[in-house]
Amino acid sequence: MSITEILFWFLSALALVGALMVVLSRNPVHSVLWLVATFFAISGHYILMNAQFLAIVNIIVYAGAIMVLFLFVIMLMNLNSEAEPRKSWMMQLAGVLAGGCFMMVLVSLVRQTAELGGKTALVKEGNIGLIKQLGMKLFSEYTVPFEISSVLFLSAMVGAVVIGKKD
Amino acid sequence: MNAIIVSAVFGVLMMFASFLVNNKNVYRYLAIIGLSVLLLANILETYAIWSIKFDSFLQLSFERFGLFFNSIAIAATLFYVLLSGKDIVRVGNYSAEYFVLIFFILCGVSLITSYNSLLMLFLGIEIISIPLYILTGSDKKNLKSNEAALKYFLMGAFSTGLMLMGIALSYGAVGNFGLEGRGVVAFGGSMRVSFLEVAGLLLLFISMSFKASAAPFHFWTPDVYEGAPSVFTSFMATIVKATVFIGMIKLLEARTGIFGPTWQIILPLMIVLTLAIGNITAVFQQSVKRMLAYSSIAQAGFMLFALWSANDMGREGILLYSVAYTLATVGIFAVLVKMKDYTFDGFNGLAAKQPLVAASVAVFVLSLAGIPLTAGFFAKYFMLASAIKSGAGVWLLVVAVVFAAVSVYYYFRLIQAMYFKEGEAEMFEQPTNSFKGMLAIFAVLLIVLGIAPSLLFNYLYF
Repeated sequence: MSITEILFWFLSALALVGALMVVLSRNPVHSVLWLVATFFAISGHYILMNAQFLAIVNIIVYAGAIMVLFLFVIMLMNLNSEAEPRKSWMMQLAGVLAGGCFMMVLVSLVRQTAELGGKTALVKEGNIGLIKQLGMKLFSEYTVPFEISSVLFLSAMVGAVVIGKKD
Repeated sequence: MNAIIVSAVFGVLMMFASFLVNNKNVYRYLAIIGLSVLLLANILETYAIWSIKFDSFLQLSFERFGLFFNSIAIAATLFYVLLSGKDIVRVGNYSAEYFVLIFFILCGVSLITSYNSLLMLFLGIEIISIPLYILTGSDKKNLKSNEAALKYFLMGAFSTGLMLMGIALSYGAVGNFGLEGRGVVAFGGSMRVSFLEVAGLLLLFISMSFKASAAPFHFWTPDVYEGAPSVFTSFMATIVKATVFIGMIKLLEARTGIFGPTWQIILPLMIVLTLAIGNITAVFQQSVKRMLAYSSIAQAGFMLFALWSANDMGREGILLYSVAYTLATVGIFAVLVKMKDYTFDGFNGLAAKQPLVAASVAVFVLSLAGIPLTAGFFAKYFMLASAIKSGAGVWLLVVAVVFAAVSVYYYFRLIQAMYFKEGEAEMFEQPTNSFKGMLAIFAVLLIVLGIAPSLLFNYLYF
């Protein structure tokens, strides 16, 4: 096994275990920390695929800013395992059924998708993830969606003021 | 592209107005002027007289159908502001910002009617959702409004997550964000669709059904519609909901056949479920507002027929349905906002005190129930006829008609309360003459469209 392959398997395992632990942890703070680990593993994957910019942005924005915000909110709300509401077994059963069905669909999807067979990720190749290429795309083909997303952010900002400001 | 750009510009202008001008009535007049200009700009584009053009690299495509729906949505918003503008201003301290958000929602509406790539669809859906979360919670002192906003936001965020996952799967299968997709292609000797694409589209469909509150993704609807300030409920239950259906129609028309024969089971099941849950639960409601929330689910069931039939008649039908449903619901809500008591009993004896208002409400209710000579009748007729044209089973139509009959029960309770019961229907304020005039115009429009629905379609083709 080459070093990239070892890295790939290690990062995949880390991402999966991290994502599972986010859901399984009783303590919300632990959940957030596991989520940070998952983001780091995914950033590692991006680097393997030669998308450094995306990797860095993922770490700075998600693992950094958003997760810190999450932690603060959770600490402010003082959540712990005792505060967790008891759910009835009916709700739990419904959740397990729905989630299980969805998982079955996705697993059978991966098993039956012929076009995925024999294909592997581009590792260490391609330059589409570099900043230069990204910028070229963003300011040619994706200019209109890029500009329109500003309307989305503007409306979110207006909303934050409307909801957050003291009357 | 006129509608997208002009609505965003007016949104920003309203933001400036909010700190430059201190008079709340000015905001309302500005919004009315803005909506009129927006309508004019969109009509100019529809007839190819003048339009702003940017190369969107095929991510947006402007067709007559979408542009015409834009006009309907903008005109409906204009009527809505003319009718309940004063109540919008009164909701909270941020009157100008509410109009800003309404303009931004219209920007999202015009994106959804003209998207040609899933990226644009996502942006459009988000641009209409986020302002709606805020409008739902805009009555900050009211606990119910807060609860509704939080509920809507959390559920909406989950459905957005599903939508993104669907788009990602579809991207993986097709290789781009294009609306067209790949369809049936060869996979190692056999011709079939890509399972990745099917799963992606299914998730996308689920998420959009959530936004359109079709069963079984409707659970948020009654609480959110009841908790939100009534003026904003009327906006989100009508214009926004109709837009989501236009988006769904575009998506499913572009990717017909991808679900295969299963689609003939899934969609009729959804239609029947939506009709049943909406109508039967509405029967047991005591609050008119909550009844209207359930009735909006039931009406969504009828609109789903347009997805199933996917032909020209279905397209015409959904336009007529949007107009009929929007006018009637906005009208009823405008009256409801002014009532002191939201229960059916609160309407007792309204006819004696306010004959014109009561008569208009009666027309709205008749139209919602689908009684002949109102637009609602032809709207339902077009939906069912288009389904027959596409080869729907008779049992489906029978079910639809039976539930339409059930809906008559709870709609007529309102008429019964207004005309045949004694009582003091108390209002916060006496309706002004202009308010009564607007209501009468709504009612007349509904009746005119109920006699000659082709008046509307003429604009679609000529």
